Amino acid sequence: MSDTNGTSAYERWRQAVDAAPPPKFPPTTISGRTIEPLYWDEQNPGEFPGQFPYTRGVHATMHRGRLWTMRQFAGFGSAQQTNERFRFLVEKGQTGLSTAFDLPTLMGLDSDDPRCLGEVGRLGVAVDTLDDMQRLFRDIDLNDISVSMTINAPAIIIMAFYLAAAEDAGFDWKNLRGTIQADILKEFHAQNEIVFPPEPSVKLVIDLIEFCTHHVPQWNTVSVSGYHIREAGATAAQELAFTLADGFHYIDKTLERGLDVDDFAPRLSFFFNAHNDFFEEIAKYRAARSLWAETLRDKYGAKNEASWKLRFHAQTAGCSLQDKQPEVNLMRVAYQAMAAVLGGCQSLHTNSMDEVLALPSEHAVTLALRTQQVLAYETGITNTVDPLGGSYFVEQSTEEMRTAAQDYFRRIEELGGMMTAIDQGFFRNEIANAAFAQQQELDVGHKIIVGVHRFVEEEHKPLDILEVDPEVEQEQIASLRQIKESRGQDEWLRSIDDVRRAAENNENLLPSLIAAARARATVGELMDAMAEVFDRHTAAVV
Amino acid sequence: MTEVVAIRELLDRFRNGDRQALNRLVSLVSRGEALEEVRVELSGIKHDARLIALTGNSGVGKSTLVGQLIEHIRSQGETVAVLACDPESVLTGGALLGDRVRMSAHAGDVGVWVRSLATTSGRQSVTAHLDLAAQLLAQYGFDHVILETVGAGQGDVAVDAIADVVVLLIQPEIGDELQWEKAGVLEVADVVVVHKGDLPGAAQTETQARELLNLPGCEETPVVRVSSKTKEGIAELWELLADLPSRQRVSSRDTRRLLRLVQEYIADQFAAWPEDMNSVAEDWAAGKLTDADAVQRILAHVVD
Amino acid sequence: MSHLTRAPRIVLAKVGLDGHDRGVKVVARGLRDAGCHVIYAGLWQQPEAVVQTVGDEDADWLGISILSGAHMTLVPRIMELLEAAGLEHVQVLLGGIIPDDDVPKLQELGVARVFGPGTSIPEIAKFVGAVGEPSDD
Repeated sequence: MSDTNGTSAYERWRQAVDAAPPPKFPPTTISGRTIEPLYWDEQNPGEFPGQFPYTRGVHATMHRGRLWTMRQFAGFGSAQQTNERFRFLVEKGQTGLSTAFDLPTLMGLDSDDPRCLGEVGRLGVAVDTLDDMQRLFRDIDLNDISVSMTINAPAIIIMAFYLAAAEDAGFDWKNLRGTIQADILKEFHAQNEIVFPPEPSVKLVIDLIEFCTHHVPQWNTVSVSGYHIREAGATAAQELAFTLADGFHYIDKTLERGLDVDDFAPRLSFFFNAHNDFFEEIAKYRAARSLWAETLRDKYGAKNEASWKLRFHAQTAGCSLQDKQPEVNLMRVAYQAMAAVLGGCQSLHTNSMDEVLALPSEHAVTLALRTQQVLAYETGITNTVDPLGGSYFVEQSTEEMRTAAQDYFRRIEELGGMMTAIDQGFFRNEIANAAFAQQQELDVGHKIIVGVHRFVEEEHKPLDILEVDPEVEQEQIASLRQIKESRGQDEWLRSIDDVRRAAENNENLLPSLIAAARARATVGELMDAMAEVFDRHTAAVV
Repeated sequence: MTEVVAIRELLDRFRNGDRQALNRLVSLVSRGEALEEVRVELSGIKHDARLIALTGNSGVGKSTLVGQLIEHIRSQGETVAVLACDPESVLTGGALLGDRVRMSAHAGDVGVWVRSLATTSGRQSVTAHLDLAAQLLAQYGFDHVILETVGAGQGDVAVDAIADVVVLLIQPEIGDELQWEKAGVLEVADVVVVHKGDLPGAAQTETQARELLNLPGCEETPVVRVSSKTKEGIAELWELLADLPSRQRVSSRDTRRLLRLVQEYIADQFAAWPEDMNSVAEDWAAGKLTDADAVQRILAHVVD
Repeated sequence: MSHLTRAPRIVLAKVGLDGHDRGVKVVARGLRDAGCHVIYAGLWQQPEAVVQTVGDEDADWLGISILSGAHMTLVPRIMELLEAAGLEHVQVLLGGIIPDDDVPKLQELGVARVFGPGTSIPEIAKFVGAVGEPSDD
């Protein structure tokens, strides 16, 4: 295979490897044997990593050149407590921060809303106003660390808060690196953090893409997520297909704003699950890369290689964790993480063994991070790129995943596209059927979970778990009340009116939201203002 | 069988507006229990609420439309009760009743009452004795009673007999000729709703429905296009239903209604199979009684 | 109530703000197949609404799913409201992520049973006295 200049795929790969900074020490096995950066069939070389369609990885040297980002999701209680946890993680060697918000924030409700009773600060950090956002990232160098924020329905408001907080702390938006999940489609398929109907919900995502493309160029605007689809019970093929279909829909809608695909596609990233079935997961990641690259190049006409490259974060499967013999979860997580690494992830979260019981304790979080460090520094799996490439089993599985996904793309198309398929409950039904089938397999004993169905231990040793201080809720509500009383009423009211007007005029909402953040409008107030224009999603969630 | 004393106490509580008593009474009558007591309780009472039945094939969006009607009715300050029927599995007798999810914008609103009912295997699409349940609800004070039931098929004859107004839902069918004219439900409908009116093909379906329904010499059946998604046509539909006269054959003394009452009565008596009928069965099995004699004896029991 | 063949009526609801409904939906289907009449009340249910649903549906059982950790706030409220509505006869089941330490406290409040991750459908079906058998394949 040669390109137009007559260089072979191998030569181009070699050039890329040579251009990359060499490893400090040539990688060897524990026994001292030298490991080459890549192994391939010289008779039938096939694809090379770092080249279209990237089945073998998006970079020529992959983890041999640069390790993945070890990014542990954290957040609980007040912004100040989470800020302390962030600084603890940075100290432990974590290279990216990942923010979990509490359920009220995820649903766009203020902490003092009666519907939030008992939920404030429980599963993540509570953010009501710009002040909370400022506290959350106090004394953290935002030029130096990439920040990930897991939020969807109110993502555009949280992004407005972050941009205001960063700018007020003296950081230039151009230098900010990070990711906001902002993937509302998978909420309609699986996770149900839904506030507005599908169409305005997607509009807000596209606003974010558009604004960041112009003003926050290093920011990953959407983390197109299969993780939650899988957690809801989908098969690996469904996770793959629905996630890519969501990504394509965001592209379609952004193109309608007149942006060039190469201006924004490089900033779309992905988030996949790392489940128990080792080889199927690896096949899934490999298939995802080639499907994305082909569609971006051939359907959307992207010319920039960065648009073709599917970069992804992986998280080990929360739904695979068990509350019986919870230490066994350490082993599950380790194998799942290994699949993600062999599948070529760019960043990874490893679940803590106690996450099925409560929020992870510091001890459990440290062990989860150590799991990644052992993979990176001791196992040697990073020494060569795509070590499973060329395996009959892995290659055929990759092909089967591709075919299954393409089949789903066709079915979605036949239904009339993404929005009609959502309206008809197509994704939810497919996922619910798969989840039920899996449960039946367990109930009849065709599948086994260790410690639950076999190898059961009667004696139950509870782990020490993290308890969230119930006072957090009261403190957060008190702080919110105080902010509501002390803010400038005229400016606050005007800023909310501006948001409403921008929504009515179908403008990009970020500028008015950033102004409203500074006027101390709350997440809940801003959601209400938008809901007046967009309506609330009340359709069936069965 | 529930004890007489307990029923009397329930009826007392019901008269005093106890919602849990209403809830239990609806359960009893829909299972065919306490029918006589409830009939006596309700006899001679004149209430204004009408039973509006929404029927149509599954997937046509009945529950979603009911949800929209609830919203509309509540916005007028009126109250509404909904009886939502779904068939239970013939194999297991189980049922997954998810209709109320589609109506749940008003969850927790005491002006809305929803009961999900599984219609028994092999029976008609309407749970037995639902007219009594509807009367209980009306008597309790709900301004409107809506019955939602899977349509298409012989089952709708029952809807026809107990509802004051029957609304048939259809949806746009792209490409195909309308399928539902075969179902024999058209003549039952007082109003035909083309639901999902925002979908392509809705106007065409509406025209086809009009053509099929409005034959020369027949009374005109209104056809309305409604979209629960955009809320278009909801208020208009409700206005139309409010203005529509109740069907004569139901509110008064229709022969079909009488025959159905006889059938139900006999079925109930069978359900309460007394001990001494066993001896008739034994004698018949032993050849001591002819078929005709045995039937006569049992019928005599039933009629007593 | 003396009807031996009557299917148990169970209201299943997600209470609070968490939207993780995989478990509750699987249980709903499983109990249907086991012969129950399952009334699925859906997501984001407030305690008041759940209790009204249980009453209006004249259910025998209430199954609540909470994965957000808010169970110690929400469940006591539901138990209180059930009692106030005269619905003490309704048996309450709880599913989700419930720490061991909370289980006795919940049982003291009147919760009949807490089902954690890894519970099989036949186990739940047996507990609610469903007569049917879940389908095997």
